[in-house]
Amino acid sequence: MSRIGVFVCHCGENISRTVDVEKVAAEVGRLFGVAYTCDYKYMCSDPGQNLLKKAVAEHKLEGIVVAACSPRMHEKTFRNAAKAAGVNPFLCEMANIREHCSWVHEDRDEATAKAIDIVGMMVERVKRNKKLQPITVPVTKKALVIGGGIAGIQTALDIADSGHQVVLVEREPSIGGHMAQLSETFPTLDCSQCIMTPKMVDVVNHPNITLHTYAEIEAVDGYIGNFQVKVRKKARSVDMAKCTGCGICMAKCPQKKIPNSFDKNLGFRPAIYVPFPQAVPNTPVIDRENCTYFKTGKCGVCQKVCGPGAVDYTQEDEIVVEQVGAVVVATGFQLYDIGPKPAGSPIEGYGEFGYGTIPDVIDGLTFERLASASGPTGGKIQRPSDGTEPKSVVFVQCVGSRAREKGISYCSKICCMYTAKHTMLYKHKVHDGQAYVFFMDARTPGKGYDEFWRRSIEEEEAVYIRGMVSRLYQKGDKIVVMGSDVHVGVQVEIEADLVVLATAVQPREGADTLAQKLGISYDKYHFYSEAHAKLRPVECATAGIYLAGACQGPKDIPDTVAQASAAAAKVMTLFSRNELEREPIVAKVNERFCVGCLACRKVCPYGAVEEKEIRDRSGNLIKVVAYVNPGVCGGCGTCQATCPSKSVELDGYTDEQIMAMIEAL
Amino acid sequence: MTPAKNILNYSYYPGCSLHASAKEYDESTRGLFKALKIGLHEVPDWLCCGATPAHNVDELLSLSLCAKNLELSNKVDGDLAVACAACFSRLKVTQHRLAENEEKRQQVAYALDAPLALDKPVKHLLEILATDFGLDRLAAAVQKPLSGLKVACYYGCLLTRPPDVPELDDCEAPSIMERVIGATGAETVSWSHRMECCGANFTLSRPGVVLKLSGEVLASAKRAGADCVMVACPLCHGNLDIRQREIEEATGNRYGMPVFYMTQLLALAAGVATGKLGFGSMMVSPEPLLKAKNLL
Repeated sequence: MSRIGVFVCHCGENISRTVDVEKVAAEVGRLFGVAYTCDYKYMCSDPGQNLLKKAVAEHKLEGIVVAACSPRMHEKTFRNAAKAAGVNPFLCEMANIREHCSWVHEDRDEATAKAIDIVGMMVERVKRNKKLQPITVPVTKKALVIGGGIAGIQTALDIADSGHQVVLVEREPSIGGHMAQLSETFPTLDCSQCIMTPKMVDVVNHPNITLHTYAEIEAVDGYIGNFQVKVRKKARSVDMAKCTGCGICMAKCPQKKIPNSFDKNLGFRPAIYVPFPQAVPNTPVIDRENCTYFKTGKCGVCQKVCGPGAVDYTQEDEIVVEQVGAVVVATGFQLYDIGPKPAGSPIEGYGEFGYGTIPDVIDGLTFERLASASGPTGGKIQRPSDGTEPKSVVFVQCVGSRAREKGISYCSKICCMYTAKHTMLYKHKVHDGQAYVFFMDARTPGKGYDEFWRRSIEEEEAVYIRGMVSRLYQKGDKIVVMGSDVHVGVQVEIEADLVVLATAVQPREGADTLAQKLGISYDKYHFYSEAHAKLRPVECATAGIYLAGACQGPKDIPDTVAQASAAAAKVMTLFSRNELEREPIVAKVNERFCVGCLACRKVCPYGAVEEKEIRDRSGNLIKVVAYVNPGVCGGCGTCQATCPSKSVELDGYTDEQIMAMIEAL
Repeated sequence: MTPAKNILNYSYYPGCSLHASAKEYDESTRGLFKALKIGLHEVPDWLCCGATPAHNVDELLSLSLCAKNLELSNKVDGDLAVACAACFSRLKVTQHRLAENEEKRQQVAYALDAPLALDKPVKHLLEILATDFGLDRLAAAVQKPLSGLKVACYYGCLLTRPPDVPELDDCEAPSIMERVIGATGAETVSWSHRMECCGANFTLSRPGVVLKLSGEVLASAKRAGADCVMVACPLCHGNLDIRQREIEEATGNRYGMPVFYMTQLLALAAGVATGKLGFGSMMVSPEPLLKAKNLL
């Protein structure tokens, strides 16, 4: 290849401030094989791209180097421009003279010299580039949604309504997630169940949705458009086809005193149970750890009383394999347990707040259950310790959140609003009660949110005290809250009947193991990472996997639903095509030289390497070699670096190209 | 002759209080260690650590005083045993501060006009008893079990704070005092003001503050049903014991709560003669309580 064009970008002043771009263009123009060079203020702009197209036509360019920013930013832009000009897009490369040069150097001469070197290296590489053709892969038009909270439900319904099949997997016996546990929702105070349960029913009735509750993801294989997912359906001990949901088994179960985790352990449930009366599906499960039959073999009452004969103690876990083209992760959140520090947790507890030792110190979700009409008290606000109506309640915000020294530095986003809501719910039910709120900042930026927060102060007379709480202690039947009011500069002590802690929002337990199964990345708090914080907020870096809701970061219901629909839209876009194009930058094995040691298979992070048998015409096995599945290959090049016989190479990054780049230096 | 491995030996920094207002802490410490056959050898020529006033006035002075004491302590074998919570805190702070700050280290070396020797492990008596000596051995050494005595263990503010300095126990939920005294068979109560400040620094300048804070400590111990309070700090002792009458007058509550140094109770359990425990120096007499529990 002897006709290469080099286009040097100023990036406004980002590059030209430190690098003498005209000199770069002039120097590179002397290189063997470079037929045309120029510099321009904004290469990525429309006139910049036209400049490139015009130059290709006028100078009959065969290869292109754009010396500008990182290929992460604009490689696609310029490859598209090259394609429009009739050049194979993979003959266009970027030389990064911004992040790798102008931004990190101050001396103009040195930076210019380095920029010339960088461009020179890319010129040598482009000379050896091959015309690559995109790889096409088929798309299975069926989606997997992991998590049956409001995020998962919204995504599943949106995709299903567009006519595509959806598999919804939920870990708990019922869908509904945390939203089903809430009493009323901000900022409109409409009842959570009233807007949630119809959607839950829609899911179970939808012809396009297959619902697996009480199920977990066992393994995920494959790649965008072609995932194979193994789902472990845990043994319910109740035959879903036979059960009519009459509830006699639950009524007759002699075990009545098992703490109900759906009610945050405020109430009790039997060993055969549905988490709450509006559960979907309305089929009970047997909690084998607490069931007398499973512990001692003596009982079997539920089986005896079950009319349709649905109770089946011999049921075993079942593995279901689903083929899907896209995955939406919607595993949601849990509240930070601020009790004694859990073993192995990097986050420190708040021993001084007495959570777990003082019974009337509860968390926000527990208060939701107390205030909920379907909760253990039927919506009456009662203290857990003695059932009396609390006349003064202290709410403490930012417990665990925004506390770097305790291990969580982020804001949990929903607590300001739900605490404001709690003060209202409380005042609506206990008219002569007084609510106090210790807060650091009030963060209420959503639509109608600030007005809502003000209402809690102006109409419900909640006393907001700016300052943190240092300690809580029991004094008789009161809880003394010691804190400070930084506006007045005094120390405050309040004797409260009930204390509600707005504890930090964390990802669900096990978020990390699920991420490892899916091959997606997560941050240090185990929230899943989106591909780009601003421009690709619902996609994972792993193609074909999308995010919805609080598994990505703390979110309220409106934000969650919006993101869930966005994820559904992304899936529908994917499903709108029969075949997918993938970048052809994949590894290829030279079968003549490969000795079949399969060291590449051990190191491949994508699981793209398979065994391939080479046979002669009469079918006799000659040898076994490695084969890279181009649909799965992520183009990382680890195999190339590992191969002892140098028989696997990444297209676009061959040894020959790398050596040429080094020689150009 | 090298001492046998299982024989513990410490250099001992009593601090000014233990030679004056907290004499009973010193006496009972020596008595207890003798009974447990743990060696204790006072550092020669030690000086005041500067305790609470020095670091408020002149950081260099307070660091230099402690650095000097650490240097002196090297003349005696064994890790440095400290009884007073304030001395313990200052010595540990000095080690931490100088370990991480080269400039301060040079200033202190210049002030002392001697090379610094800061590496000797500084251990509070609690740490020695709980970890080095061991709770099992402590329990085995008990001759007069304190069973039936309900003790409120008072940590005060210095013993475990700031979080990374004393390295004694969990900063927010410590249990070392309960574990140590629990080995004698005594019952410990769960109470709210274990770690609140007694008002220490304000004892002379703002006595009103002390009466309020220490009053709350005593009230909390009383609420929890304690017979007595156990402390490991002469300042706490001063405020809770010496000022208890004043607190009672100011608040109108009657406490009559003996405030023991931890070593007094431990030595009593270990069978040290009661005449050597300084019970006579306590403002709130422990006699009625100990008699009622058959411990005298």
